[in-house]
Amino acid sequence: MAEYLLPDTLAEAGEMMAAHGRSLAIMAGGTSAMRCGTCRGRRGRGIACIECAGPRLVSVPNSAYVMGIQRLGLDRLEADNGVLNIGAGVTMRNLAASDMPAALCQAARRVGGPALRNMATVGGNIFARQPYGTVAAMLLAMDAVPVFTGPDGSREVALAEFYTSGAIAAGLLTHIECPHPQGRLVFVKCARQRFAGPTVITVAVRIELETGGKVAAARIALGGAGETPLRAEAAEQLLIGEKLEAPAIEAAAAAAKAACAPADDPVASAWYRRRMVGVYVARALEQAGEGEAP
Amino acid sequence: MTAKRVSLTVNGRGENIAADGLTTLQQVLREALDYNSVKDGCTQGSCGACSVLVDGELRIACLLPAGGLQGAEVTTLEGLNARNSTSVIQQSFVEHSAAQCGFCTSGMIVSAQALLDENPAPSRDEIMEAISGNMCRCTGYLPIVEAVASAARKLAKGDGA
Ligand SMILES: Cc1cc2nc3c(=O)[nH]c(=O)nc-3n(C[C@H](O)[C@H](O)[C@H](O)COP(=O)(O)OP(=O)(O)OC[C@H]3O[C@@H](n4cnc5c(N)ncnc54)[C@H](O)[C@@H]3O)c2cc1C
Ligand code: FES
Ligand code: FES
Repeated sequence: MAEYLLPDTLAEAGEMMAAHGRSLAIMAGGTSAMRCGTCRGRRGRGIACIECAGPRLVSVPNSAYVMGIQRLGLDRLEADNGVLNIGAGVTMRNLAASDMPAALCQAARRVGGPALRNMATVGGNIFARQPYGTVAAMLLAMDAVPVFTGPDGSREVALAEFYTSGAIAAGLLTHIECPHPQGRLVFVKCARQRFAGPTVITVAVRIELETGGKVAAARIALGGAGETPLRAEAAEQLLIGEKLEAPAIEAAAAAAKAACAPADDPVASAWYRRRMVGVYVARALEQAGEGEAP
Repeated sequence: MTAKRVSLTVNGRGENIAADGLTTLQQVLREALDYNSVKDGCTQGSCGACSVLVDGELRIACLLPAGGLQGAEVTTLEGLNARNSTSVIQQSFVEHSAAQCGFCTSGMIVSAQALLDENPAPSRDEIMEAISGNMCRCTGYLPIVEAVASAARKLAKGDGA
């Protein structure tokens, strides 16, 4: 059984990481990581649990040392100098109730039920198995940058690049930096229940319109549509210079649908997820286009 | 590995418990301390049957390592029983047939109490959201929503505290 370590300072955490190397796993809220430890081998009974069905195993229960982050003071939420600074240990409950951009708060509120949101952290969401990563998808659309600290000092990497390069944690994720988002943010989640519904897919968009209503910049991020949250870049490109109206929206939705690679799980089939990507990308873009053009 | 012990308060009583490795709060409450209102439904965070309050906030006991709870105040349904408002919720569950097999009931009542502590006059949607992490395979949820709404009304009229 793993030894559970609870450092009080980042320096202490750094020493533990250096001392135990690959035999140490990091744990935040534990709402993903603890599930493997308490799983009764559902897989052996032919029921693939989302945690072990995924391509990358949560290593926590197999590690000799597990380091909890809750005493490290990583639960700050700040906005200054045009930069949002979101601590890795901020819970979904605290993010949902914060004065961060409304779409980001909505995404946090769509993670599980109230007890889960009291435990689950933003940092943990960055590493969540798909179709989870509800908040991560929103952060991807906001050009967020996770900041890690490891034995070799601190490292930052754009979230988009983090995901396209295999989503490997470079040490301890301390916080996520994000430019104060320009333009319109929309978050939509497809689930079969309004509250705490398991995720089918999520779509997060950020659209900047120039005078006259043409799209100057576009981000479309999908959750539950591949091995990690991903950007629908072909769809984003199709919107540039267009008005957010039916023809451009339909073309972008079709491109997002064509480019995604969702998986089957007990919640939804890949076929259904792909269809919902088309429907929800269109819906999100329609919402982004509502209201006065600048 | 050194045996780890943790001191915490459970239902108002000081306890010193063994909490090696990733032993969960659910294991400690059920197996060491005999608080069997904390159900063992899924051990996956999915059913809410093990819901408890930690420092007044709703938590999923099966995903919570007890080793991190030094000094915490844990309340299970056994502890809430001492509160008049919980009796009012329980009475409403009886009146609205909101408990059938009863497996989900303790978790439901803990979630309902956590809601009413924060929001004494919840809307129907707020009640549904508050119990959305708790699964019930018997009632179809509507009697539970009615029971919580009715408890909130009774408490507002001063039938409990
Ligand atoms: C019933 C239920 C419903 C859920 N619903 C949703 C949902 O709707 N949407 C959704 O997105 N997710 C959902 N989840 C999954 C999960 O709760 C969330 O993804 C959550 O944000 C994970 O955060 P955590 O703090 O609990 O992570 P943990 O379980 O503590 O960690 C998860 C992974 O991240 C790594 N990690 C965590 N923090 C750090 C850090 N600071 N530095 C480096 N590595 C780190 C861990 O090593 C581990 O591999 C659900 C889970 C359950 C049990
Ligand atoms: S037993 Fe803990 S949520 Fe099901
Ligand atoms: S009463 Fe049977 S599970 Fe709810």
